Amino acid sequence: MNRFAIPLGIFAVLVVVFAIALKRAPEKQFVQSALIGKPAPDFVLPDLLTAGASVDSKRFKGRWMLLNVWGTWCFECRAEHEQLLAIQREGKVSVVGLNYKDEDDAARKWLQELGNPFDAVAVDKEGRAAIDYGVYGAPETFLVNPQGVIVYKVVSVITPELWQKTLLPMVEGKAL
Amino acid sequence: MRQAGFIAVLALLALPVWAIDKKPPLPDPVQQQRYEALVHELRCLKCQGETVADTQAMFGEDIRRQVREMVQAGKSDADVRQYLVDRYGEIILLRPRWSAGNAWLWVAPIIFLLGGAWVAWRILRQRRDLLATDTSEVPEEAPRS
Repeated sequence: MNRFAIPLGIFAVLVVVFAIALKRAPEKQFVQSALIGKPAPDFVLPDLLTAGASVDSKRFKGRWMLLNVWGTWCFECRAEHEQLLAIQREGKVSVVGLNYKDEDDAARKWLQELGNPFDAVAVDKEGRAAIDYGVYGAPETFLVNPQGVIVYKVVSVITPELWQKTLLPMVEGKAL
Repeated sequence: MRQAGFIAVLALLALPVWAIDKKPPLPDPVQQQRYEALVHELRCLKCQGETVADTQAMFGEDIRRQVREMVQAGKSDADVRQYLVDRYGEIILLRPRWSAGNAWLWVAPIIFLLGGAWVAWRILRQRRDLLATDTSEVPEEAPRS
């Protein structure tokens, strides 16, 4: 019995370590953005909804901003659309879209059919602004505070729970 | 028959046509070499097992363009890596860098190896000592109780 004590002890420790790691895996996203706490990169990009105009990210400073990276090719973007509309109706943040590697016509049609949750939609056809933001897919969403600093990044669908429990408390200053 | 075999060989030789990175090489061969080395040591975050060089994912395409442009603009390898790490985090580097935070990645294998060697050495020595000092006679086979 005694000679099994040490291996058994090591095994028990490993089980605990792996159990904790597994439990934490979903919240500890694969790429917990390197940009959190850093100033949101500025961009000036064509405006999807007004021909010839451009969207300047600096315009949204002074207010909380939710920057949502989306595309009509992105299946999960449809899943979070309702929630984006709800957030826009709630009116506590500016909701800005970054239309990522998409077709303008398809994107406009999408907003016509499903409703437009965005204060403005910037067109990032080549994905350059996206690289600046460390984006590697869609949907991805950044919460930017009024000083223009990235506070949080969501690499998945924005669910009502996520908005209520995580994002909104930050906007209202109630988060830890 | 021989002709069919010949054609098959030719078709195999044409496999590079399926190349993932379809962009023409940079005019400067040294830069092209650096570009290739860089994209082989970057992780495709969209498809976690692949390098940026080997992936067809959109993400890889965009990062390849970014690296190509930066190399062409005269940035150093370190500049390119830092640029990407600033945006995507250390995870984009397939080979973790030496830093206080991930020193254990490099040190742990050495510690395990030394620990294992120590255990093995102790066991071996124990056995040798057993042979050397145990001079007792081998007892007659005792009836098992």
